[in-house]
Amino acid sequence: MQRRLILRGAGASAAALTAGSSLTACGTGGGGEMELSDEPVELRLTWWGSDTRAELTEQAIAAFEAEHANITVKGEFKDWSGYWDALATTTAADDSPDVLQMDEQYLASYGSRGALLDLGTAGEFLSTDGIEPSVLETGRLDGVQYAMPIGVAVLSCVVNQDLFDQYGVSLPDGNTWTWDDYAALAASLTEASGGAINGSGLSGSDNGSIRYWSRLHGGELFGEDSKVVLDPQTLAAQWEYWLDMIASGACESAAQMVEGMNAGIGGDGMSTGKIAMGFLFNTQITAMREASGANMQLVKMPGSGEVDANYFKPSMYWSVSSQSEHPAEAALFVDFLVNSTAAADIIGTERGIPSNTAALEHITADLAESDRLAVEYMNSVTPGPPAVVTPKGGSELEPILRRNAQQVYFGEAEPLAAAESFVEELQGEIDAAK
Amino acid sequence: MSATTELRALRGRGVTGKPENKAAFLFLLPWFLGLFVITLGPMAASLFLSFTDYNLLQPARFSGLDNFTRVLGDERLHQSLKVTFTYVLVSVPLQLALALGLALLLDRGLRGLAFYRSAFYLPSLIGGSVAIAVLWRTVFGADGLFNQGLALIGIDGPGWISEPGTALGTLIVLNVWTFGSPMVIFLAGLRQIPRMYYEAASVDGASRSRQFRSVTLPLLTPIIFFNLVLQIIHAFQSFTQAFVVSSGTGGPADSTLFYSLYLYQRGFGAFDMGYASALAWLLLLIIGAFTAINFWASKYWVFYDD
Amino acid sequence: MTDTLAPALVRSAPPGKPRRRAPGNVRCIVKHAVLILCALVMLYPILWMIVSSLRPEDVIFRDPSLILRDLETGNYAEGWGAFADPFSHYLINSTIVVAGAIIGNLVACSMAAYAFARLEFSGKRLWFGIMLVTIMLPVHVIIVPQYVLFSQFGWVNTFLPLILPKFLATDAFFVFLMVQFIRGIPRELDEAARIDGAGHPRIFAQIILPLMVPALATTAIFTFIWTWNDFFSQLIYLTDPDMYTVPLALRAFVDTQAGTNWGATLAMSVVSLLPVFLLFLFGQRFLLRGIATTGGK
Repeated sequence: MQRRLILRGAGASAAALTAGSSLTACGTGGGGEMELSDEPVELRLTWWGSDTRAELTEQAIAAFEAEHANITVKGEFKDWSGYWDALATTTAADDSPDVLQMDEQYLASYGSRGALLDLGTAGEFLSTDGIEPSVLETGRLDGVQYAMPIGVAVLSCVVNQDLFDQYGVSLPDGNTWTWDDYAALAASLTEASGGAINGSGLSGSDNGSIRYWSRLHGGELFGEDSKVVLDPQTLAAQWEYWLDMIASGACESAAQMVEGMNAGIGGDGMSTGKIAMGFLFNTQITAMREASGANMQLVKMPGSGEVDANYFKPSMYWSVSSQSEHPAEAALFVDFLVNSTAAADIIGTERGIPSNTAALEHITADLAESDRLAVEYMNSVTPGPPAVVTPKGGSELEPILRRNAQQVYFGEAEPLAAAESFVEELQGEIDAAK
Repeated sequence: MSATTELRALRGRGVTGKPENKAAFLFLLPWFLGLFVITLGPMAASLFLSFTDYNLLQPARFSGLDNFTRVLGDERLHQSLKVTFTYVLVSVPLQLALALGLALLLDRGLRGLAFYRSAFYLPSLIGGSVAIAVLWRTVFGADGLFNQGLALIGIDGPGWISEPGTALGTLIVLNVWTFGSPMVIFLAGLRQIPRMYYEAASVDGASRSRQFRSVTLPLLTPIIFFNLVLQIIHAFQSFTQAFVVSSGTGGPADSTLFYSLYLYQRGFGAFDMGYASALAWLLLLIIGAFTAINFWASKYWVFYDD
Repeated sequence: MTDTLAPALVRSAPPGKPRRRAPGNVRCIVKHAVLILCALVMLYPILWMIVSSLRPEDVIFRDPSLILRDLETGNYAEGWGAFADPFSHYLINSTIVVAGAIIGNLVACSMAAYAFARLEFSGKRLWFGIMLVTIMLPVHVIIVPQYVLFSQFGWVNTFLPLILPKFLATDAFFVFLMVQFIRGIPRELDEAARIDGAGHPRIFAQIILPLMVPALATTAIFTFIWTWNDFFSQLIYLTDPDMYTVPLALRAFVDTQAGTNWGATLAMSVVSLLPVFLLFLFGQRFLLRGIATTGGK
């Protein structure tokens, strides 16, 4: 008797699992006819981020509900890693929230597995006109618009002017400087402080910095057909550059970098005034200024005077789940969040500099100083071609990169061997996901 | 006559009754319900998934033994096994020794016991909360407390928490630091020892160390055994502390990549839940083997009063 | 009578013999010194957390000492009001989950443990083995199928997935714990009761339960702490922020990209630690109620 019970229990659960999953695969949000309902509709919206973001988003929800009497929106906030665990689990069980905040690294993993709604089918409710085509492109996979870019960010060099002043070093000219100039400046900062600080943070283990470096050298991280086209030689050269920086004391040690990375903004060397220069996305200057209390400034990336290697990275997107029972209302809500000045007034630059140009213009007059710096910086940058979206299976890009870079920085692996293994592992993940 | 033999003499002969199936079934009813309705289904599902290629978002595809053959060539898995075994073999004995030692000290006969017990338990209370990450950085960071202490005696310590060579060590210290749970179980176990055995022993004129060896220790063996089994299982499954301290990376350079952390990274980070399920069942086999050895060995050293 | 002095100790230092007392005192002082030193080392990080929660944000990571220069209570106000609901809301939610879990574990696990420790039934060893095996599988591969199951029950975004399983003794850890304790209780006691004509329910309720108060207290304390700190299952099952518990709210402060309000995070960590600490301070008295005080004849 009991054995039969076991089997039945197992069978039921496995059946449920496959049923849930197959619904995911074929259910694209109720088919062709998409229209707004007159009945009361409840939407679920989910995002990652801190308490500040939660507060602003709740206000935006209230403004949307005031405009649409029959729609209520339930906001669900999580921390970054919890967000992805919960999203994967609920999507697997066919119970995903309607509107999702999406990240570039996960976009293809969800989009090309059928978990996201093709926003083109909701064009009636969601306008894409206000967004520059090159930015809009970053939310598209194989010609399908799976995500609306919320805001854009661009890689920048952040300098702590207070430390420069304190040690009598003058700020660099971002329009002309090279990586050699950067190294010399960092070394002179370390020297001037008598070793109290390091001139630079240790870079080369995040996807922004290796993309920039490879584009500077005529390469790119991802190519067409889900190929990793990064030349291992280029990456190895970048790591060797940083190994020299560590050796000369111009930048922090590998251990300090790891400690700072785990701590995040607020606990890292930049925030605590132990390093004077580092690389961040321009929009992070607000958080950095707040955490450090120091006069942080943005300078162009080394080498940007010669090659337009920088690119606009969507800081995040809104997507609609393909499991949503109310795709029309969900699209309408995304439209409100991205395109309306009412939402822009509330959210400001909290999710990045608005991708909608009209919304950006609308709020430009009232920007706080750090936001103004971020916008000015973005306007000063001439971007190269848009970066190719991380393909499906590439969600492990950062972990693989970080691990290989750390092995190099801690002297456990040779740069070239580690660079080759990075490319190979990443390609392996992507191929396995096909 | 040793106190142990006397103790054995005091034991009842035990009832050699017939099976009491009906009563047992009633007492076990909630557990059976939980087992069949809640526990076994998902377990069976994960066993099924371990033979599939399952990315969470699309239906699982049967892939035979692929996931299990993949285990052989997976270098990160081997690294995680190395990390996990080191962790289990070093931290469990240390933690249990400390817990037992302090439980004996804190059992009775001292002023302020309630305070000490609570103080020693406090670290276990914060468990895997986010605050742990901050605390451990403050203690074992490059400019942390530990290094400031070392500086007093002229040693320039490394950034313990972020050097591949020492990061695992800080997590072992963290585990030993939270020895409160086994300590509490030991305390409860000490309280469970019937007074009459001590009285009988002291009538025999046994010294205190003798009483410890012939009454306390044998009667505590079921609890020592319990703690050993459970702490080994927990240490093999250790996840939260490494996750919180390394921000989920298992870094630097995979030096704190616990088995469960790797399994989680595969399942949720890389959408590779089929393989993660296979890894989970492999871990179950490893833990099961350790537990079986423990139970087998317990025949030789654990003393039951029934 | 909740606190007892061991007769052995009393005997080793008989009153009125100063010469024998002196070494006892020295031993006592040494013991205290060791314990206080240990306690200081153990507690330093926690004291640091408390002190830091009273520091301005930008000082927190620069000062590992315990000296408080400027007192900043703003972290508490900020943390308390950081989300749509005041922090007390999350404390209450956690309390509901924890209370349900404790009751469930006490009732269901003690019953199962009685059967395993005292009753003879067919397949006992097999069932015991199965119970142990259920402890061994990592939660991360169980959670997805379990979510599918509970969402079909319609339990998502309620406390049921967090509480109800405890009433079905799914925390086999505690069953095992109690089995070990019951096996330490002398059989003569139940045999005597049985001779008086008591059935199993009565032996369980009147003999075994009172004698295993330390194990029950241990179970209650552990259930409290683990449920109070449990992040993963609460994250998965509670979706609406109105249902959030303390660990979810605490984790929601953390954003390594846009900056974390560490002052508020530490302040609320202290707040959430307080009930657990008080419970332990109160509850540990029950650990002392062994046979020594209740049944020692």
